[in-house]
Amino acid sequence: MAMKKKEATKVYSLKKEQQRAAAVMMTPLLITLILLFLLPVLLVLIMSFTNWSMTTTTRSYVGFRNFLFVLNDGRFWKAFGNTLFYTGIKLVADTGLALFIAVLLDKKIHFRRFFRIAHFAPVVVPITASSLIWLWFYDPGIGPLNQILSWLGLPSMQWLYSEKTALLSVILFSVWKGLGYNVILFLAGLQSIPESYLEAARIDGASERQVFRKVKLPLLAPVTSFIIMMGIINCFKVFTEVDVMTPNHGPLESTLLMVSYIYDQSFTRGKMGRGAAAAIILFLIIFVFTMLQRRLGRKEVSFD
Amino acid sequence: MKKSVMICVAMLALVAVAIPVGAQTKLKVWFAVSGDSGEAFKALLEKYKAANPDVALEYSYSGNYGDTATKVSAALISNTAPDVALMAAGPLYTGARNDYFIETKLNDADLNKDDIYPGVWDYAKYNGRICAVPYGISTPVLYYNKAILEKAGIDLKNPPKTWTEFLQIAKTAQAKGNISGTPDFWGFDATDVAWLFKTMLYQNENTVISVKGTKISPAFNDEKGVEVADFWKKLTDEKVMPVGQHSNAEKKFLAGNLAFLVATSARIARWSKDPSLQIGAIPMPYFKRPSVALGGNVLVILSKDQKTKEAAWKLVKFLASKENQTTFALKTGYLPIRKSGLNLPEAKEAVTSNPMYAIAFDQLDTSWSYWHFEQMGTMDQLLAQAIDALERNVLTPKATLDKAANELQAEIDG
Amino acid sequence: MSKHLRSRYPFTTLFLFISAALMIFPFAWMLLSAFKTPADVYNYPPKWIPSSFKFTNFAEVFKKIPFIRFYANSIFVSVVQTVLQIWISAMGAFAFAKLDFPLKKKLFAFMQSSLFVPEIVTIIPLFLLAAIAGLVDTYTGLIVAELNCAFTTLLLLSFFQTIPNELIDAAKVDGCGYFRVFLKVILPNSKTAIGTASLFAFLTHWRSYMWPLIITNDVKMRTLPIGLKYLVTETGTEYQVLMAASLMAIVPVLVVYMFMEKEFVQSITLTGLKT
Repeated sequence: MAMKKKEATKVYSLKKEQQRAAAVMMTPLLITLILLFLLPVLLVLIMSFTNWSMTTTTRSYVGFRNFLFVLNDGRFWKAFGNTLFYTGIKLVADTGLALFIAVLLDKKIHFRRFFRIAHFAPVVVPITASSLIWLWFYDPGIGPLNQILSWLGLPSMQWLYSEKTALLSVILFSVWKGLGYNVILFLAGLQSIPESYLEAARIDGASERQVFRKVKLPLLAPVTSFIIMMGIINCFKVFTEVDVMTPNHGPLESTLLMVSYIYDQSFTRGKMGRGAAAAIILFLIIFVFTMLQRRLGRKEVSFD
Repeated sequence: MKKSVMICVAMLALVAVAIPVGAQTKLKVWFAVSGDSGEAFKALLEKYKAANPDVALEYSYSGNYGDTATKVSAALISNTAPDVALMAAGPLYTGARNDYFIETKLNDADLNKDDIYPGVWDYAKYNGRICAVPYGISTPVLYYNKAILEKAGIDLKNPPKTWTEFLQIAKTAQAKGNISGTPDFWGFDATDVAWLFKTMLYQNENTVISVKGTKISPAFNDEKGVEVADFWKKLTDEKVMPVGQHSNAEKKFLAGNLAFLVATSARIARWSKDPSLQIGAIPMPYFKRPSVALGGNVLVILSKDQKTKEAAWKLVKFLASKENQTTFALKTGYLPIRKSGLNLPEAKEAVTSNPMYAIAFDQLDTSWSYWHFEQMGTMDQLLAQAIDALERNVLTPKATLDKAANELQAEIDG
Repeated sequence: MSKHLRSRYPFTTLFLFISAALMIFPFAWMLLSAFKTPADVYNYPPKWIPSSFKFTNFAEVFKKIPFIRFYANSIFVSVVQTVLQIWISAMGAFAFAKLDFPLKKKLFAFMQSSLFVPEIVTIIPLFLLAAIAGLVDTYTGLIVAELNCAFTTLLLLSFFQTIPNELIDAAKVDGCGYFRVFLKVILPNSKTAIGTASLFAFLTHWRSYMWPLIITNDVKMRTLPIGLKYLVTETGTEYQVLMAASLMAIVPVLVVYMFMEKEFVQSITLTGLKT
């Protein structure tokens, strides 16, 4: 009886201590979030109910008119569809390829450091330079890609200049640009797996493939889940690469994505209020998708 | 430990923010031009600084046209705007906010308003009233590759007058002038399709937009507009111009895979400097009347108080003076906006030594600009998208233009 | 017992060679282009090897932009941001991963949702706030406004969770407070994770363009990505000069990464957690 009570006080004081520690350690994070996220987003929310124009700077309340415009705009839904397509392809290509390469790079092979650096290198290139390089590559007439295709005896392609391949070409570019990030994450995840777990499985007679499927993959689940979640979020936020690669949203607006739509409304058309409304809708969409992924995903972040 | 040192260093750096103090009038200038034009503009500002010790001049490059527009809007709402900005679509940031300060200064004798081409003044208007000073003005220019035309045996001593005549020449150039033996060889292309399309519209006696009082509505989809669209479609249908590759047109041209290119006159200075490029220019062909639509940037004054505005005006006058504006123009390929500027010895020198300048300068006489209106950016984008759809045969030319016009009308009403 | 590593994984090596070649192909192009003359650049058919290997384009970069100043600014801003961001994120991630406190789930969702907003949406409101705070043209403005900690916090969180609670409990029994646990147990055991997160934070800041452009006016405050944009001009972009500048921008970062990679990939720390 007394024991139990003593234990309870101990648990209670432990709880107190944890709360105090958490308060201290969370404060800086919360401050940045409030200043850099909450306040600006509240302003965006206010903006979304006004007819704020970028040039005239007039601002008056218009109710839900911006939201109604966006939801009734065919372009917005086209952008949504394109973004889903983009996300689907990019996620599979990026995550699958990155995991595969990370597993290979985790092996004890020659030139390992060279391989790692080679796969990481595109990440450091500024977009101003990489987009120019790739625009050159993709040129159907004077670009080296079609030159190489013709050496291989393959038919030339229109790349960014056909509505059928434009978005795929942008995806290829962004996979090249961002693969290194995911490779590094998977590698870090793989290397955090204690060698003893793997040894134990091997001693039990598991083949390398079984070790991968039964030991490594489950232990990578948090990293994988993280990569997929960030992948979805970032795909919905893609802007710079489509903007520089395909001005005016590419052939027949086939590369119009969600953020290009927002940028268009806010800056090209100068309707800041409407852009803000579209941003709020985008926010809600990503929110729903992240919830879905969390439901479907295994244990991503559990606080138990 | 190291981390805390870093943080301290950061903190110190934060404190060390320079704020110049003094009795001088402070003028902040932003400009949206870089490279040769940026250097030329900076040199003029330095010259002003040296001659006016009472002015503390601070200037900086503010990114390209789009980035500058974003920066200026952000600055306007937070009262951190510069006093003078060299930017595209400047009237949208003054006239649209009902700031017509420059209009009150037009009779300033130093400005000599009538010396500046009237068409160029139109480029500085909002709702028909002047609210900016034209500066880095450009026109589209029809360039050609000398080697290709030579191979095709085309003599441009008597250049084609109309687009129909031009189409024949472009076809011949394409058929006989393939100097690099590429399968991707073309007769004609343009870098900025909306710009050329607007030029063609006006040449065909279409005013692009119609203005009744303060009411603006699209006019590009009438019969005359459709005629232009039909001609455009002919260019791609007859495979003289590649479909939808305009963003790469300049590369193709410089690689010798394109005979004719319409691009901004701002390329003249750079291209003439490069001995490996053999490029010439001919006057822009037309439909019913010769004309080119103006483009480029203007100077605006964004200061709040009257005293700074006056100081800013002094600087603007200096920049737009005959000598200074002409110097800027000749270093970059922008055009002299003053009739008297063309009579300066350096301008005459440029015209005789480089015939491309002559072509571009002559076009100023027939240059044209519609008034700026709030949705002009929207219109350019809608036109570019309509042209893309046109080239890809999505709808009939008429239906394509109608769709763009309806959308623009909705935006204007909206 | 393999005699030769190579013979153990021939296909892996071959595959990685091909894939590495594809990844660095654009680099080869960039490297070669940095030496080209304008005539080489526009040659048809595409010319791979420049006609001479002179460093004129590199010299041109220094003539056109204050490259060193931009570089120094970029390094300074990115490093300070990274240090602050990792520090803030690591503490937050520790609290989320290992401490129990009220509103935890709500705060977590709050943090996560900060990732849902694209930069271009908040940039003008953020500028308004920064202007009110007088941060235009200051290093504070450059640094603080981009301390977006959610991503690094989530990343660190997913690693901190794999640290066994027993380690923490053991330290607690020894009389450590939670802050000491964080310093003495969590941080030393997550070098890989911290290294990865720092790298990500650094690169995000290193490549940042829009915010530095908006918040700075003084050329002395500008960073490298803006500097590169100076070279893309409306009178025509000098492709070869831009490539030379980009190359100079990249190489030092890659070299630093090479050394870091050795550090944090080879000191595989979490293996020590077996106990």
